[in-house]
Amino acid sequence: MRCAQLSPASRKAAKPVRLGRTAAGWLRHAGAMVALAVLAACSAGGPSTSVNQPTSSTSTANSYTGPAAANADVQAFKVNLWENIRVSSKCGGCHHEGGQAPMFARSDDVNLAYQAAGPLVSFTQPDQSELVLKVSGGHNCWVSDPKACGDTMLTWIKAWVGAGSSSTTGIQLQAPPSQSVGGGKQFPVNATDTGTTGASFAATIWQPILSQFCSNCHRATAQTPQQPYFAPTQAEVAANANLLQDAFVAAQSKIDLNSPDQSRFVVRLRDESHNCWVIPPGTVPDCAGSAAKMLAAIQAYAGGIAVTQVDQNLVLSKALSLKQGTIASGGNRFEGNLVAKYEFKTGTGTTAYDTSGVSPEADLTLSGAVTWAGGWGINVAAGGKAQASTAASSKIADMIKSSGEFSIEAWAAPANVAQNDAYIVSYSGSATTRNATLGQHSMQYEGYVRSDKTNTNGSPPLQTAAANMNAQAALQHIVLTFDPVNGRKLYVNGKFTGDVDKTTGGSLANWDDTFALVLGNETTGNRQFLGLIKFVAIHSRALTADQVAQNFAAGVGERYFVLFDVSGLSGVPQSYIMFTGSVYDSYAYLFTNPTFVSLDPNAVPASIPIKGMRIGVNGVLSLPGQSYSTINTTLGGSTYSAQNGQLLSSVGAVVASDKGVDTDLFFLSFDQFGSKSHVFTDPSAVVVTPTTTTNPTSADLGVKTFGEINATMSVITGVSMTNAAVNTAYMSLQQSLPPASDLSAFVASQQTAIAQLAVAYCTALVDTAASRDALFGTGLDASINATASSFFGVSPNYATNRTDTTGVNTAHRGIVITALVNAAGSTANPNTAAAITTELNGLMNDLPSITGQGSITVSAVTKASCEAVLGSAATTLK
Amino acid sequence: MDTLIRNIPSRVSRAALLGTVATVLFSNIGTVSAGPAEIAARMHNRIAGVPPSATVLSQMVTMVQANDLNGAALLATQNPNFYNVQLKTFVTPWTNRDQTVFAPLNDYTATVIGMVRDDLDFSTALSDDILYTVNSSGLPAPSISGNDHYATAETNGVDLSTTLKRTTQSATYGLPVAATAGLMTTRGGASAFFVAGTNRAMFRFTMMNHLCHDMEAVQDTTRPSDRIRQDVARSPGGDSRIFLNNCVGCHSGMDPMAQAFAYYNFDATSGALQYTANMVQPKYLINSDNFKQGFVTPNDAWENRWRAGPNAVLGFSGSLPGSGNGAKSLGQELAASDAFAQCQVTKVFQAVCFRAPQTQNDLNAIAATKASFKSGYNLRKVFAATAAYCSGS
Repeated sequence: MRCAQLSPASRKAAKPVRLGRTAAGWLRHAGAMVALAVLAACSAGGPSTSVNQPTSSTSTANSYTGPAAANADVQAFKVNLWENIRVSSKCGGCHHEGGQAPMFARSDDVNLAYQAAGPLVSFTQPDQSELVLKVSGGHNCWVSDPKACGDTMLTWIKAWVGAGSSSTTGIQLQAPPSQSVGGGKQFPVNATDTGTTGASFAATIWQPILSQFCSNCHRATAQTPQQPYFAPTQAEVAANANLLQDAFVAAQSKIDLNSPDQSRFVVRLRDESHNCWVIPPGTVPDCAGSAAKMLAAIQAYAGGIAVTQVDQNLVLSKALSLKQGTIASGGNRFEGNLVAKYEFKTGTGTTAYDTSGVSPEADLTLSGAVTWAGGWGINVAAGGKAQASTAASSKIADMIKSSGEFSIEAWAAPANVAQNDAYIVSYSGSATTRNATLGQHSMQYEGYVRSDKTNTNGSPPLQTAAANMNAQAALQHIVLTFDPVNGRKLYVNGKFTGDVDKTTGGSLANWDDTFALVLGNETTGNRQFLGLIKFVAIHSRALTADQVAQNFAAGVGERYFVLFDVSGLSGVPQSYIMFTGSVYDSYAYLFTNPTFVSLDPNAVPASIPIKGMRIGVNGVLSLPGQSYSTINTTLGGSTYSAQNGQLLSSVGAVVASDKGVDTDLFFLSFDQFGSKSHVFTDPSAVVVTPTTTTNPTSADLGVKTFGEINATMSVITGVSMTNAAVNTAYMSLQQSLPPASDLSAFVASQQTAIAQLAVAYCTALVDTAASRDALFGTGLDASINATASSFFGVSPNYATNRTDTTGVNTAHRGIVITALVNAAGSTANPNTAAAITTELNGLMNDLPSITGQGSITVSAVTKASCEAVLGSAATTLK
Repeated sequence: MDTLIRNIPSRVSRAALLGTVATVLFSNIGTVSAGPAEIAARMHNRIAGVPPSATVLSQMVTMVQANDLNGAALLATQNPNFYNVQLKTFVTPWTNRDQTVFAPLNDYTATVIGMVRDDLDFSTALSDDILYTVNSSGLPAPSISGNDHYATAETNGVDLSTTLKRTTQSATYGLPVAATAGLMTTRGGASAFFVAGTNRAMFRFTMMNHLCHDMEAVQDTTRPSDRIRQDVARSPGGDSRIFLNNCVGCHSGMDPMAQAFAYYNFDATSGALQYTANMVQPKYLINSDNFKQGFVTPNDAWENRWRAGPNAVLGFSGSLPGSGNGAKSLGQELAASDAFAQCQVTKVFQAVCFRAPQTQNDLNAIAATKASFKSGYNLRKVFAATAAYCSGS
């Protein structure tokens, strides 16, 4: 914060005017509308940047020996903010006594520092405090990511003003700039892409200007690197072309394609004299000339980019980007006992900053397959982890050993619910030694904590009940708490899971302060968590159930109130459809709570029909995820109020991102709004004509299925399916029989099962006189136990002539063969009947001729004949 | 042959013997040309699963000779095994999640069999207050909390063709008439598809079994997403592309229709179907934190979003409103679709002809059968007409 130029005028311009607690309440303060306009004018051209001035330590944070704090609030200021910022490495380097005004970091008198800090802090909206805005804008941030400084400053301020302050936060709605849909130009994909003028970012802006005049600071390898890194040198780009593309992305928020003269690049040079360069060489810096050159380059570039066209027949709102909305302060989190906090806002590089404000900062180094996620967060893939140094991590052990209790809080989205031993947050030395771990075990969450009741690995773990399936592949708020009495508790999405720690509490005195904090894995790399981690906090107290619920309700991520201008459609002055919008993940936005509002408190919509609302991006209506296309209501009447507007839907819409949050321009389309309408055409049904063949490629025959085979055997033999022996066999064999008719699926084991069932039926048939007589008549009865060779006869020539009847008793054989052929219905096909007859005759010759089977009986041969018929294709095919 | 087989030393030899018998007969069948008797026998085997008696064969042959294939096939449907075996096997896979044919007889299956036997309008199968019980001695009474009545009937080998008795779910199970929705609210259907989960299974399996479309086939990401419940993660594992490209394709259409089942639950403990009029089952509200801004089911009002867009090819009836309350009206919506009729006819074709329709003649036959099916929705006639088509020549 050294050398900040905080003039009273600039503070006033940057300070928002608050209208009430919620967005819905802003209409109560009509007088603030003028201020809205002022703020809107300030916001054009992208976020501001500040100059990093040379650092020189002129003050140190020795022990305070000045006057005592005058009151409790000064004491709170002293403890929570002043002690942190008065050091020379932070604001105390410049804003010390006798240094730069305002001297809010002076060390001689905390009461005077308190008075100086007062105008720089918003008690009702801490995140809009001047102190936060300055450092998060890049003003002498003490780490490389200004956002991290802003968050740390916010943590200190919140600790001072009290955790309850933001519960009374007023939300400042800002009228968005008026932009026509499709009127906005969109950046091309690549830095080297040229428009119709032949100009590209690389050739027109970066190479002649940025790489020449900005690379002393705005590149990662600069001596004093300053974000954003849009100015790598030409040598660096020659060595690594990706740097140019990174520069292109970083520069986009500083270039206004639609209004080049409002580009931050131009404004900074022209209006703020930010490091202007000399034209021509040897003269003094020429800000006007520098700005003109920059403007000409941007105009040349933008001039070649065509306007994205949109269907002009659509009924459309005005357009705006997410960040042109008003930041919606998050809910009020309880952070009274923070040890470490990670919000993952940096979005680039390999460091995730600890923004707890508790020194030393246990910043995480991202390694392996860890990538930044859109809307704040990190994606952890196989091999990835984020780990702090053991030295910085030691503060966790130190503070928690003192308190004897702690909480680990995380917002995470597991990639799947099949991963086990997937550690989300671990404070450990190896896969077998730890202080504490919050992990995922399939659909369970688990917590390990080393205490005098558990081993050095924190085992046994506390796991959520498997049946409750607490872990879902969705963004969840997970909290592991530990207190000396109850031990561990797990909370998911703000609620206690109900799982009781049977090992109870205990002492944490045996925690090892040489361990490291690691996210998404184990320090040894073999406890991989796959998924998204959006937030992690470690507290030195066990959060209460209410505090967990409070932090869950506060949510995670940055949200905006996005106001789509529909004044032209509704006829209601200053009317908007207002959404709460946020970057949902790396691939989509989330829009919720669409509400019709008017900034004019006297305006009242008079029964305006509204129907079929869709959210478009960059001039294109994408159909997936449209949640408001079914809206069919009327604006006005009792459901509209000047204070709250009119809520149109309670559900959310996930809208796919296109070019990124800095450039995606949203708009609304309506099937009907007031008197204007456009008939939306649904994608038409496509009737697919099946492909046909001339001849079927599959068999024209099928195999009888298990039930049919059973019934067929019963029909042929006359043996009831409920016969005990048969039924036992069938129940045993049922699932080995063919389940379907597809001939190509028929396998040998099914034929075997058919044969076994046939054995059961034929045994029951032949061994039961009544059944036997019913099918064969009584001709077999007297000879049933006689030898088959004598009763049926055997042809001596059968081996060479299967139809030879020499020595064959045709009449006796006919008793069996004719009955079986008729019963099988085979007479319908003479060839089948003949084939069966031939086969059975052969069988009657074969069986007695087998060595050792000369005495085979009529009963056995009859059964065999029966089984051959029942098991044959003649009866099992259809 | 058991003695014979036991005495043949190797298993290979035994199998070879059986295979020889089968192969020889098979090859003989394959070379003959079909005469009236063979056509009749073939139709009978395909419809009833068993060979005809000599008397029936004779009657059928006469009809075939008179070119009345349909009449002959209808005669075959009088065989008890058409109901006890063929239809039971045909319907059983619809009544369980594993789609196995090896499941006990239940009221779902019995009701289909009864409706076919009695030539009832099958388009009421998903909406009527209808139930078939088995009128046979020695059976436990039908109960909403158990399947013993039907399982015992099957074990006892009761002839369903003569013992099935038409009644109502309201009278037998005590369900409110308004809560009955044909096969969907039978105990068999409920125990399979209303148990645990989110009741989407009932919608999915009804689509599969009665419209022949699994969810993959009806994916349409262009439908509005406002009725997708809270339990569907919009960013699974932190990747919303999965939701926008896949999940939304099914859920945008399925969730608004599955809302019709919001008052149903199968209680696995009591084994009974529960219906809580005007009270949404907790299963509709589970995992609400997966996407807090998702749809919160307030009632059983359903809406068919697939009447527009690509799934309009399912052919929903223009004479119905496309929305309503409860399973009964949803059942009417589904059963009145062209896809329902097409599905029933196609399923029968595959069961009787052993293959999916492949030739233009097959498609023409299905179209003709569907057209006549839509007039009265007589499923028995579909079997007959299809068997006639596949009878060979």
